Amino acid sequence: MAPLTLLLRRGITVAVALALSAFILSFSALPALQPGWLPYVLGALAALWILWQPMTVVRDDLIPAMAIVLSALGLALVSRLSPQLAQKQLWWLLVSLILAIGMGQPFTRFRAFAGYKYLWVVGSLLLFVLLLVFGQEINGARLWIRIGAIQFEPIELIKLFIVFFLAAYLAETADVIGNARPWSVRANLKYLGPLFLGWGASMAILVLQHDIGMATLLLATFAALLYVSTRRLDLVIGGIVIFGLAAFWAVHHYPYVATRIAVWNHPFSDALGAGYQSSQAYYALAAGGIFGTGFGLGHPGFIPDVATDYVFAAYAEEFGLIGALAIMTVFLMLVRRMLFVGAEQPDLYAKLLAVGMGATLGFQVFIIIGGVIGVFPLTGITLPFLSYGGSSLVANFLLVSLVWAISSRLCAAPPSPSPSSS
Amino acid sequence: MTNRAIAGLATLFVALFLILAARAAYVMVIQGPSIAAMPYNPRHALLDQRRGRILATDGTVLAESVGSKRVYPLGESLAQTLGYLSARYGTSGIEAAYDRALTPADTTGDPAAQWAELLSAFKGDLHRPKGADVVTTIVPSVQNEAWSLLSQHARGAVVALDPRSGAVLALASVPSFDPNRIDSVFPSLIHDSQSPLLDRSLDGLYPPGSTFKIVTAGAALESGTVTMHSTFEDPGHVQIGNFTLHDNEGEATGLQDLTGAFALSSNVDFAGITLKMGVDTFYDYLSKWGIGASLDFQLPTETARVPPKDSLTPGELAQMGFGQGALLVTPMQMALIAATIADNGNEPRPYIVRQIVRDGVAATVTPSGSLSTPISADTAANVKKMMIAVVQRGTGTTAQLPNVQVAGKTGTATNPHGAAHSWFVCFAPADHPRVVVAVVVENAGYGATVAAPIARDVLRVALKAVK
Repeated sequence: MAPLTLLLRRGITVAVALALSAFILSFSALPALQPGWLPYVLGALAALWILWQPMTVVRDDLIPAMAIVLSALGLALVSRLSPQLAQKQLWWLLVSLILAIGMGQPFTRFRAFAGYKYLWVVGSLLLFVLLLVFGQEINGARLWIRIGAIQFEPIELIKLFIVFFLAAYLAETADVIGNARPWSVRANLKYLGPLFLGWGASMAILVLQHDIGMATLLLATFAALLYVSTRRLDLVIGGIVIFGLAAFWAVHHYPYVATRIAVWNHPFSDALGAGYQSSQAYYALAAGGIFGTGFGLGHPGFIPDVATDYVFAAYAEEFGLIGALAIMTVFLMLVRRMLFVGAEQPDLYAKLLAVGMGATLGFQVFIIIGGVIGVFPLTGITLPFLSYGGSSLVANFLLVSLVWAISSRLCAAPPSPSPSSS
Repeated sequence: MTNRAIAGLATLFVALFLILAARAAYVMVIQGPSIAAMPYNPRHALLDQRRGRILATDGTVLAESVGSKRVYPLGESLAQTLGYLSARYGTSGIEAAYDRALTPADTTGDPAAQWAELLSAFKGDLHRPKGADVVTTIVPSVQNEAWSLLSQHARGAVVALDPRSGAVLALASVPSFDPNRIDSVFPSLIHDSQSPLLDRSLDGLYPPGSTFKIVTAGAALESGTVTMHSTFEDPGHVQIGNFTLHDNEGEATGLQDLTGAFALSSNVDFAGITLKMGVDTFYDYLSKWGIGASLDFQLPTETARVPPKDSLTPGELAQMGFGQGALLVTPMQMALIAATIADNGNEPRPYIVRQIVRDGVAATVTPSGSLSTPISADTAANVKKMMIAVVQRGTGTTAQLPNVQVAGKTGTATNPHGAAHSWFVCFAPADHPRVVVAVVVENAGYGATVAAPIARDVLRVALKAVK
């Protein structure tokens, strides 16, 4: 591909993403809180995005582009719900963009991560310990570490670390695990042992932190990676069953979990008590109807914690079913693009890394939207790019940046036509 | 092989997101309207900010929404009739009966309306339609007079209406409550033994006492049981079976014609008239007057209690003839009985809401036609003569007005709860009546001393306002 064509393609993608973001933000109250130099920083980032990639390389620029448009919508939503939070969200978004664009080039050496696979486990454990010692309990779950003015949710980083580890470990052992007979105890135990670190991490989160949302997310990612690398459905189903039993145990031992399930079953039976938040979300969804009330014209403020867990309900009230389906479609496209980036990779490690990131993102979106609209009980995790929350924004942009880097390929190499060809 | 698994995973996500899409469509569109209609949805209160007003007949505001607050300028006066509006305790009175009209249109569940609203918002028009205004027949000067006089007493009710149309001019009921503070006072109101939430004018059930002699006299004349020239002897008491009956308003009235017996309110004479008429004829006229049947009115009203005819003893029948025994009626019912005499034997169909004004377009909701014609115009004219005599020279002289002839009837209703209830029903001017007033003051004694002066003053103000 001629360098000029390449630059033009990158430039158009970046320009469209920024223009769309600016268009979305033009409806919000944001101009009141943005500093004057913000356009220059964004301009510099755009230039960095276009120019700081070798002229011989093509990347899937649509992946960061979609993330940026989603996060612009998120910023508009948060500023509509709480100008105070929007101010913080703006800074976090800026940090995330700098990290995402800045890491785009360094992340292309992602294969080096495979060598430190146990470092990610140690890092995750360290974050866990920090959380247990310094964590603050909010709404029945211990999820936050406060350092000065900054609140930090380590689970968002742990989510990435676990994928790093699983991809590296499974890349090495997938063949053996895949070929081991399900009834050969020795062969299975030998290689599966370390894997249960991944599975164990989700169990630990469940038992120690009462965070069923994140625990389910990690388990789903673990199961997806195990399946993709080994196609051992017996292991996948076995892991899910054991996790299910543990979750069942949690329901009976943590009143907080039992309440969530009762609220899910009968959101309106205690509409002024335990079911308050959930029923308020339903009222917002009902007010949304097909077309929505229009941006800024609904009343999502009745929902407690609307900017974090329930941002989807706020969005759906004002943008309606049409808007809800649109956002789901964008998320689905983003997730599938990430999976296809995985399919295009020559080696199993790169495949698993991209697929793990895509699956994590996809499951997280499914779990939180499904919880808000009542497919299953609500678990408090963020809706990537849309919810208020610095840790979530930074982690998800790092995730995007990594997959973006993995998608790099030389212009000369013809692209694989479809994921099922290799 | 790996890529096939990845493709499978990609398909799994399509399936998962289809589940989300289906559930979102179900919750937001299919279930949406029923979820939105749930009582604890705070958006109802937002709609209430655009709720229509309740107005008096001259446009005076009786209830309106100011921001998120519902304001009732009259306060305790007319409180039970207007009702209240509370996110916590719901609605009552006109607020409840006309809730659909007062509530602004909600676009939830109506995609076309939602789309139109969205388009107008996009053009910068954020105006949203208000609920309709409900225009009542209440006349503020009459209402204020009725309230200021009645509220000096502990318990009672006033009804004022125009006998020609049935339009309600004023309703008062004490004790009352301040609907402006309903959220804070409601818990104590429901436990208050004086029942301040009860609209005594429409729902209060009282023995009518001698005011009911209007019905008895009308029935007796219409059925030919007596004529205006019949004479009666009242020694002050009479023995009916094993029951001895005493007069309680006048002394023994001695030898009187029908007018004298009526004007001096002889219970003994009216017991005799009722017994002579017989239970079948008496009950026939009760039903012609609609007493004991539910009243066709825009607000819920209590139905009069009439004891079952079959098990009635002569003593009980005799007592009903002068408004005692097991008979219980509402002040509205007594006002309609007086209005029947005022309107030549036609019982008018009462109404309190006359117009619903939506977006400046008024729809008239005045009911047409009278309820019934229980007695002929001749009989009504004769009863009217007797009611004039009550005020001129009988028990109701305290209701006289200068330059206007008032027709009325006193009542002193004995009851098991203490002193007798003081009753007065009247209309004026006697030749072409424009205003009917019924007053009951609980446990206040003689009709002439408490209820009649209140009725007279309400009449005086109402005659100035109603032409």
